[in-house]
Amino acid sequence: MRALLIYCHPRAESFTAAVRDRIIERLEAAGAEVRVRDLCADGFDPRLTASELERYEDCVRNRDGIEADAADLRWCDTLIFVYPTWWYGLPATLKGWLDRVLVPGVAFHMPDQNGNIKPALTHISRLGVFTTCGASRWLTWWVGAPGRRTLMRGLRILCAPRCRMAFAAHYLMDSSTSESRAAHLDRVSARVDKWTGHPARAQEAPA
Amino acid sequence: MTRALVLFAHPCPESYSASLHTATVETLQARGWEVDDCDLNAEGFQPVLTEKERRGYHEEPANIAPVAAYVERLRAADALVMVFPVWNFGYPAILKGFLDRVFLPGVSFRLEDGKVKPNLTHIRRLAAVTTYGGTRMRAILAGDPPRKSVRRAVWHVCRPRSMRYLALYDMNRALEHKRRDFVGRVRRELATF
Repeated sequence: MRALLIYCHPRAESFTAAVRDRIIERLEAAGAEVRVRDLCADGFDPRLTASELERYEDCVRNRDGIEADAADLRWCDTLIFVYPTWWYGLPATLKGWLDRVLVPGVAFHMPDQNGNIKPALTHISRLGVFTTCGASRWLTWWVGAPGRRTLMRGLRILCAPRCRMAFAAHYLMDSSTSESRAAHLDRVSARVDKWTGHPARAQEAPA
Repeated sequence: MTRALVLFAHPCPESYSASLHTATVETLQARGWEVDDCDLNAEGFQPVLTEKERRGYHEEPANIAPVAAYVERLRAADALVMVFPVWNFGYPAILKGFLDRVFLPGVSFRLEDGKVKPNLTHIRRLAAVTTYGGTRMRAILAGDPPRKSVRRAVWHVCRPRSMRYLALYDMNRALEHKRRDFVGRVRRELATF
């Protein structure tokens, strides 16, 4: 298992960082290889520029400046996003990673005259989305969870047809408690362990 | 006089989005409105909510300091019109970053008993003018996130009297006459919304 984890939170001590660490711990415990892309720490610029758009459909030149991200996407069989939900959506930094990295030849192939685009991430057989929401579950549902859907439906159709999904969100983050956060981390573990088939037996033993 | 803030989010001046932007601005000005034309790329808008901003996010009114000029423009608006291409079933990052950084607590919403209360109710008209690479069916299957974001999330903090979501789907295969028809539709709808 080769997991690419795209992490996006500006604060090093955020709960989102704890979610990231838990996922890495569970993946490594199962013997997976993990690569982490920390978009905020890396200073990723999310703006797709005019010059990038100009070469967007040129499948050689459109990787200029995103070579490492494109290579990581080719390498992985598991793609995981860990981020806070802002305005019911992805943080701009993460949205821009999609805009700049999911280019033709990397994520999809441009359509011919009478078809939809063709997926190019069909080697990705697991897609995970782990987030926190300030809003409640029902308000998020009412708005239609645009962020989750951008990834779990929009990006999903570029992945393998039988791609296995994992999702966990901590809602009402601003009124979270240490208990709710601990329970959420256990949910995160359970989602990852379900993928790897490697249950966290060691953690179940009394301390 | 009605004052409209137009947020435009395509980096290429020769793009079809740019012609929609021109049509939008011209139509609103023809109504006698004052148009504050904000081309996010041309203005070099920085969409990344920084660590410092995240720490001070809930500290009103100091939280507006890094984006005070944009907050002022938003507060002065009676109408908000967003013109953007849909990329990856979402806003371009530069426009999403406008929500992240400028739609702050105390600006676009107030938190009362943990509930979001609308705070942009001076915006009486809300519109989006957009284009999708995919078909309408493909967007529906994906849950059409940008449509939901405008019609529910942004709507929720403005509660406008009038709202339009004008979208041209299947852009990559749209014939010349379809593109022209859509510009006409944008002009018609924005002239009366």
